[in-house]
Amino acid sequence: MVPTEHHGDQWEPYVDNGGSTLAIAGEDFVVIGSDTRSSDGYNINTRYDPKAFKFTNNTVLATTGYRADCKSMAKSVQAQITKYAHDHGKEMSVEAMAQMLSIMMYQKRFFSYYVFPIVAGIDKEGKGAVYSYDPVGNMERVGFRAFGSSSALLQPFIDDQLGFKNRADIKPEERELHLPDLQQAKNIITDVFNGAAERDIYTGDGLQLFTITKEGGIELEELPLKRD
Amino acid sequence: MNDFKQQFLGDTLTKTLFSETEASATTNGLGSTGSGFETTAHKFALAPLQKPVEFAKTHIDNTSETQARIQAAHGTTTLAFKFQHGVIVCTDSRATMGNVIASQTVKKVIEINEFLLGTMAGGAADCSFWERELGRQCKLYALRNKKRITVAGASKILRNMVLNYKGMGLSMGTMICGWDEDTTDPALFYVDSDGQRLENHLFSVGSGSTFAYSVLDAGYHYNMEVEEAKELARRAIYHATYRDAFSGGYVRMYHIKQDGWVAFDLQDVGELDIHYYPERKGVPDNQVQEEIIRPAGVSV
Amino acid sequence: MSEASRSDYDRGVNTFSPEGRFYQVEYALEAIKLGSTAIGIQTSEGAVLAAEKRVTSSLLVPSSIEKIVKIDDHVGCAVAGLTPDSRIIIEHARGQAQSHKFTYDEPILVRSVSQSVCDLALQFGESVGESKPKMSRPFGVALLIAGMDEDEKPSLYHCEPTGTLVKTRLKAIGGGQEGAQSKLEADFEKDYNENPTLEQAKHLALKVLKEVMEDKITKTNIELSFVTMGEIRGKKAPLFQYENEEALGQLIERIEREKREQDALEFGESGDRMEEDH
Repeated sequence: MVPTEHHGDQWEPYVDNGGSTLAIAGEDFVVIGSDTRSSDGYNINTRYDPKAFKFTNNTVLATTGYRADCKSMAKSVQAQITKYAHDHGKEMSVEAMAQMLSIMMYQKRFFSYYVFPIVAGIDKEGKGAVYSYDPVGNMERVGFRAFGSSSALLQPFIDDQLGFKNRADIKPEERELHLPDLQQAKNIITDVFNGAAERDIYTGDGLQLFTITKEGGIELEELPLKRD
Repeated sequence: MNDFKQQFLGDTLTKTLFSETEASATTNGLGSTGSGFETTAHKFALAPLQKPVEFAKTHIDNTSETQARIQAAHGTTTLAFKFQHGVIVCTDSRATMGNVIASQTVKKVIEINEFLLGTMAGGAADCSFWERELGRQCKLYALRNKKRITVAGASKILRNMVLNYKGMGLSMGTMICGWDEDTTDPALFYVDSDGQRLENHLFSVGSGSTFAYSVLDAGYHYNMEVEEAKELARRAIYHATYRDAFSGGYVRMYHIKQDGWVAFDLQDVGELDIHYYPERKGVPDNQVQEEIIRPAGVSV
Repeated sequence: MSEASRSDYDRGVNTFSPEGRFYQVEYALEAIKLGSTAIGIQTSEGAVLAAEKRVTSSLLVPSSIEKIVKIDDHVGCAVAGLTPDSRIIIEHARGQAQSHKFTYDEPILVRSVSQSVCDLALQFGESVGESKPKMSRPFGVALLIAGMDEDEKPSLYHCEPTGTLVKTRLKAIGGGQEGAQSKLEADFEKDYNENPTLEQAKHLALKVLKEVMEDKITKTNIELSFVTMGEIRGKKAPLFQYENEEALGQLIERIEREKREQDALEFGESGDRMEEDH
């Protein structure tokens, strides 16, 4: 994931600024964690550059990749959400926002954003929802997702712990019984980010943990991570 | 469209550069109820370069064949065939970005409407975006004409749409499957981003298609019952996931009938492995090989 | 105002009169009254649209006249006035509805699609720079848009060439609009205590339509549609649909029977006279 130099004389407008995001959807909640470090190569640009933001009273968008593209994309999304609220007299649902983001990203198909977004929110049925994207807007609703420089460390871990993938000891039909409650999900996120900060040079400094519930709306906790 | 395409390919592009804001301000749908924006043509942002298409092709990879910075999700085995009771559509569910498995739960069957299914091979976003657009066109057709568009018509709309972007790096290999109103036969078309459009009774598309074809061709006949057809499709996808590293995850299956399609439950490829080869269960691979290659009593 | 003022200021679509009137749009409103009548009623369980078709010749195929059209699965509209103008509007509305679905993966709000129609109503006049108007003159149609949102609340909107959008529970447009409107309002209050069921609303709509129609009401010279909760692929969803022929026939039969009974009641003793006539 080290940013590369120019390929010959090609214009290279993309940089990977590192950092990680992780979202977990529960029955009636969704939690999404992201670190706050932003780097360029081996140089840490800043220790506090949040990746996740509240977009409506119900949704959070967290994005890793190239920070400039992340912010540019987030601004466009925010503008469209505000416009939607004025046009239609209601707040955009997480389903609508997820589909809109996919379309907006695809409209940059030939000059793509270098981003890996995750949308988290509570859907119309009151269930936790996580949507993940590739950089050109292919969307998928998932139960949990890790993106960014630590994704190769985090995703296999949550595949095992939350998805019970390839686990002979838990039958597929029993997996739902083992899904985490809100506190367990939050614990998993704080634990894995501590682990990621230990082993990934691009992840660290601070952890932002957003909790979204139907009743409580969006809550943000900020926790320290290793700064080395 | 031609002017627009000229700008894309624009070797002579000098005056009109799409700035980011310009392009996104005119995007479809996102203008919402505002007045006077296009409802049929999509506009895409371009790199502010002499040859923006070259930029797109070198920086955004749909194939795992280049070291491009942006790796779009892709890779697949998909298949569809007609038989006496309709069409069976079956896919794997793996998406790869570079050598990373981006997802094992991709929905590679796109539900265009109640009677039309499209499959996804190549760039995942390319397929899902253009087949979503196709769904919109088909709905407008139905509202205007008070009847459904034919499968032949729908597949041609899709072909004509992607043909406008030929040579610009789109990657899409899809099968458009359905059953026309007031006909006794289902329909199956293959459409790809090169502009190819074919009709046949059987197709398989994607990196694992050669493996799937082997199984399909060996077992296919028109007069299959539904269960036999489903089993054939399942085996074909399973064997493709076994030999093709870009395919895997789950087997997803649809059956198109005269009154619309039905979807079946996902089947884990890992569990199918045990189902088809029970002797492999919990046994290290070298020992499995022993049993299969050298049955008891045969010396080497 | 004087006739001189009117003729001075009604030649263009870009000129107000000194009194602040805008004659060409006012004339467009008159064009609506030349058309056949359409009626819309909103109830708590759905909304009903009914429209008259003027079948001017027995050689004319009635089904080729369209006064009520579907915009999307959950919304449709009835038109009165210069119906060809409505084709542009309806194409626009359908495009808006499908674009919304495409972008947001949800049906467009009835209010939003109605508003987009009204936005279009103002796009007439000369082209200025890049902006190209759809029409050189105001539209000569009024629309009644009936639909139901995901929250299962039905609504009825009235759109005019002025670009005004009004949410309403009862509305009549077209040739018989004045007579129909007062009749609707009276019966709505008197017979249904302002809260009819969907079936009652269908009945009311046809009853009033019959009264303002010049021709005898038949299954073929009217259209009746409604929006209420239905089923799309096994899932509960708002559904705009046309009344089927059989139900339509029964409704008409019932209205005619009630009319006969009422006539008999009103004429009282004169009923004997009617028998004598026969």
